[in-house]
Amino acid sequence: MALPVMVNGFGITSLSNRSSLVRSLMGTAAAATDRILVIIYLNGGNDGLNTVIPLQYYSKYQSIRTNIAIPQNKVLTLSGMAEAGLHPSMTGMRDMYNQGRLAIVNSVSYPNPNQSHHRSSDIWMTATDANQYANSGWAGRYLDNRFPGYPQNYPNDTMKDPLALQIGVLNSTSLLGPQSPMNISVENVNNFYALLNGGQGLASSDLPCCEAGEMIKHVRQQQLLSTGYSGQIKRAYDAGSTKATYPTAGTTTELSEQLKIVARLIHGGLQTKIYFVELGGFDTHGDQVTASDTTVGTHANLLKKLSEAVSSFQNDLVLQGTADRVIGMTFSDFGRRANSNASRGTDHGVAAPMFVFGTGIKRQMVGVVPDLNNDLEPPTTSPTNENQEIKMQVDFRRIYSDILRDWFGAQSTVTDSLLFKNFKTTSLFSNVIETTASGAWPDRSIWSAGRPPGVGDYVRVNPGHVVAVGQNITVRNIEVEGGGELNILGNYTINTTG
Amino acid sequence: MAYLDPYTVPLTANKAAHLLRRATMGPTRSEIAAFTGLNPGTAVDQLFANVSYTASPPPPVDYAPTSPYYMQPFTAFPFVSSRSGELSVYLRYWWVGVMMLQNNKPSVLEKLTAFWQNHFVVSQNVMADYRYMYRYLKFLRDNSLGNFKTMTIGITKDPAMLIFQNGHGNNKDHPNENYARELQELFTVGQQDYYGNPNYTEEDVKAASKVLTGWMVTNYYANGTTDFTSNFHRNYHDTSNKTFSAKYGGITIQGRSDDTAGDVEMNELVDMLLRHPETPKHICRKLYRWYVNQNVTQDIENNVIIPLAAFFASPENNYNIKPVLEKLLKSEIFFSDQNIGAIIKSPMEYLLGMGRYFEFPCPDMMTDTAAYINYIRFFLWGMGGMNLEILTQPLVFGYPPYYQVGYSKNWINGSTITARRGNSDTIIFPSQVVKPGYVLGIDFLAWIQKIQPNFADTNTQAITPDEVLAAFSKNLFAIDLSDAQKTYLIDVVFMNNLPRIEWRYELNAYRSNPASTTAANAVKNRCSNLMRYMIRMAEYEVF
Repeated sequence: MALPVMVNGFGITSLSNRSSLVRSLMGTAAAATDRILVIIYLNGGNDGLNTVIPLQYYSKYQSIRTNIAIPQNKVLTLSGMAEAGLHPSMTGMRDMYNQGRLAIVNSVSYPNPNQSHHRSSDIWMTATDANQYANSGWAGRYLDNRFPGYPQNYPNDTMKDPLALQIGVLNSTSLLGPQSPMNISVENVNNFYALLNGGQGLASSDLPCCEAGEMIKHVRQQQLLSTGYSGQIKRAYDAGSTKATYPTAGTTTELSEQLKIVARLIHGGLQTKIYFVELGGFDTHGDQVTASDTTVGTHANLLKKLSEAVSSFQNDLVLQGTADRVIGMTFSDFGRRANSNASRGTDHGVAAPMFVFGTGIKRQMVGVVPDLNNDLEPPTTSPTNENQEIKMQVDFRRIYSDILRDWFGAQSTVTDSLLFKNFKTTSLFSNVIETTASGAWPDRSIWSAGRPPGVGDYVRVNPGHVVAVGQNITVRNIEVEGGGELNILGNYTINTTG
Repeated sequence: MAYLDPYTVPLTANKAAHLLRRATMGPTRSEIAAFTGLNPGTAVDQLFANVSYTASPPPPVDYAPTSPYYMQPFTAFPFVSSRSGELSVYLRYWWVGVMMLQNNKPSVLEKLTAFWQNHFVVSQNVMADYRYMYRYLKFLRDNSLGNFKTMTIGITKDPAMLIFQNGHGNNKDHPNENYARELQELFTVGQQDYYGNPNYTEEDVKAASKVLTGWMVTNYYANGTTDFTSNFHRNYHDTSNKTFSAKYGGITIQGRSDDTAGDVEMNELVDMLLRHPETPKHICRKLYRWYVNQNVTQDIENNVIIPLAAFFASPENNYNIKPVLEKLLKSEIFFSDQNIGAIIKSPMEYLLGMGRYFEFPCPDMMTDTAAYINYIRFFLWGMGGMNLEILTQPLVFGYPPYYQVGYSKNWINGSTITARRGNSDTIIFPSQVVKPGYVLGIDFLAWIQKIQPNFADTNTQAITPDEVLAAFSKNLFAIDLSDAQKTYLIDVVFMNNLPRIEWRYELNAYRSNPASTTAANAVKNRCSNLMRYMIRMAEYEVF
């Protein structure tokens, strides 16, 4: 409940239900039941600093990773976001950013970070504290809560389709429910097409001769055909179509082919809520760039695959008319170290950016690009330790929380229980930036989005928070909750553009 | 190829494992090692000689701790009809326990007994008297390496068979042709020859049923009784002469009326059946399908079945079973590469084979009974979920995958695949407590500690993913994996697309700090992912 407040003579409008702020707030909570999440796992620990390059700190960036740094003039710049740029192979995602369909969440990690692939990816997938263990995944718990009694009571009249679909070899822990996996899995793209063809078309070059080969072929076919919900999957695939241009034969990748299938299933009406796809190879300890050109090499190829696949997929959704129902997110085991190693690679690190994409996002930058002068750990290097890590700005579970609550529409209490505690919003799906603590207006740490509100933002000062204003401000509107306070420190103006 | 000529090349591990997989309920890893390098003839001889170690196991008992007859053999207490279902299941417990015994003396006995039980079928679907069923099973087990004529006669007047195939109700006034038909169609001559010609006529069924009139049983399913038998009642016997068709040479069995009529006529009948040229072929074909390959081509018919049958029925062998099976198991054709991996595992071969391969010991039935039951239940009900309940064939024909078109392919469908995966997951992610300190399943960390030289000293280099795969997959599959498959197993499944060097970091982290859950889980999860994937591979399903 907003109260009218007077601060230093300025009237801050009391908001009625008709206000655009209130309407926009209501908009986020009323998530449609047909919303979809696509999770893209960047397996191995993606090097964030060479993915989203902090142009604001370019000289420091260049100095701590001289042998792999992307030349400044090659970095893809972003519309209206001078502090950051993308790797030169990411033209597709650059375009998505400029069209408002891509969000960068900076420096995502968790407290007490672990640098074991196994443990850290487990933490990301189970969404526990680093010193806690869980036997289920965050998305699996959500689906279990939303569709109680799975798998025994499914399919049924209200849910005929798989709750989640994964294309990949190993069942992702993310989709593991309290009792059983909540997903249907197909090992790879080839197997998926063989499934559509009634088991025909499975690879047969590796079959032994004679009866043994015949038996193995039979078992493989039966295994494939035992994939749950295969009839529904085929029905949706046949009903759907691909509208966009995907990477052409010869440059197709497993990820682009996976997302092509996902888009077609969505278009065909499959009610599946979560898709899980994967791109491996991000553990770039050595030779992540070539010696002669830091813009090409292993990491460039990976980011190109990612960018082409994601941008084609997003285009497809737009052309299909399904874009408003779908968001995607990337995650990885961890980020990589701020400084490069001598092998033209990077070792296991801490924080890195996540991407969230789709027309449903309400902001494009959460947090700020890592301040390489002030936000590395340890702050300075020494001859005995030249390694520095990028400090966390955003706990990954805040993104999960926003997805569950604001995208899927789970109740706040449910969201908190699925994630074992409350996580503050990043306002990713809201055009309201709210305070998370008291402090000075320019202090990014007091704002939900991890950066001070800008001209396009609505602002809410939450109860108990005092925000000191020592500058002129222009925002869409400001709401100060009862018990909250704007403390104007001088003769400054607050312009609201409504 | 020389087909039935003895195979003489010393056994590679692959061939040793093949012999043990086919001739026993599945090898333990130590048995494979012990058989590797043996002369094939010597190896097969051992499998027969070892029968003596388990020829007379303790009989099945009442396993219910609350029962007044707890731990007493079935025949030591009066029949209790209200507990017939329970005690019938106990008989299965007993047989599974015998199958799972790992005494390092692998023998042909249980696999061969299972063959005969699926040949001379009596099913607990019908047979509700657990005493009858045990007597029947024990007869098969005791005679499985003996003489086929003895076995045929014994089974024809076996009390359980008399009930199961209605011989008990076959008398001169109301002939019941059921057993007379199955005796010919299934047990001896077979319905038709290799080319589809019928081996007997409907008149032969009628004539045989007359021969078999007058046999009855006592105390079937009778509460409180302590003994039972089958016997011949001449008053119910058809004393007329029984004339058979030209299929049997138009022979007449003279009708008799005294107390020995039943035995004398039965003996003549069985002699007649065994003189039929198709009988030894029918049995040899079935043995070939059980032990070698279910696809009997014209070439195999001519070069394996016909000569083996001739030997089986020859005067010098006179229908003895053991020499025939020895010849088959020692043959070139048995060890031929094309027959390795040629059959899909039945649930017995799949699940019992898995338990034996990973060497999960079976607790002692008499001294560790509660643990024994926990252990057996996993295997027994696990097999049931995969469409094989032992001693419970749906029909007298046996389990469909042993006779239906497609043969062993019939073991595999959507629901049995799910069941197979569920069972193997239970072993890969151990959760079944057999007793305190004994959880059924693979201890991957112990396995890694065993294969990592100087485990506690990280100065000794960590074993590589290749070495882990080599250890985990050693003799796991009947056929060798291709290099491409091995690479996939390492890079995609084991390493999950991470560089192989990460494994060394993880393994060394665990070696340095074995108490760390995080370090241990990193190692364990890679191992369980790998094993889970391998056991789910179609290649694991064949043997």
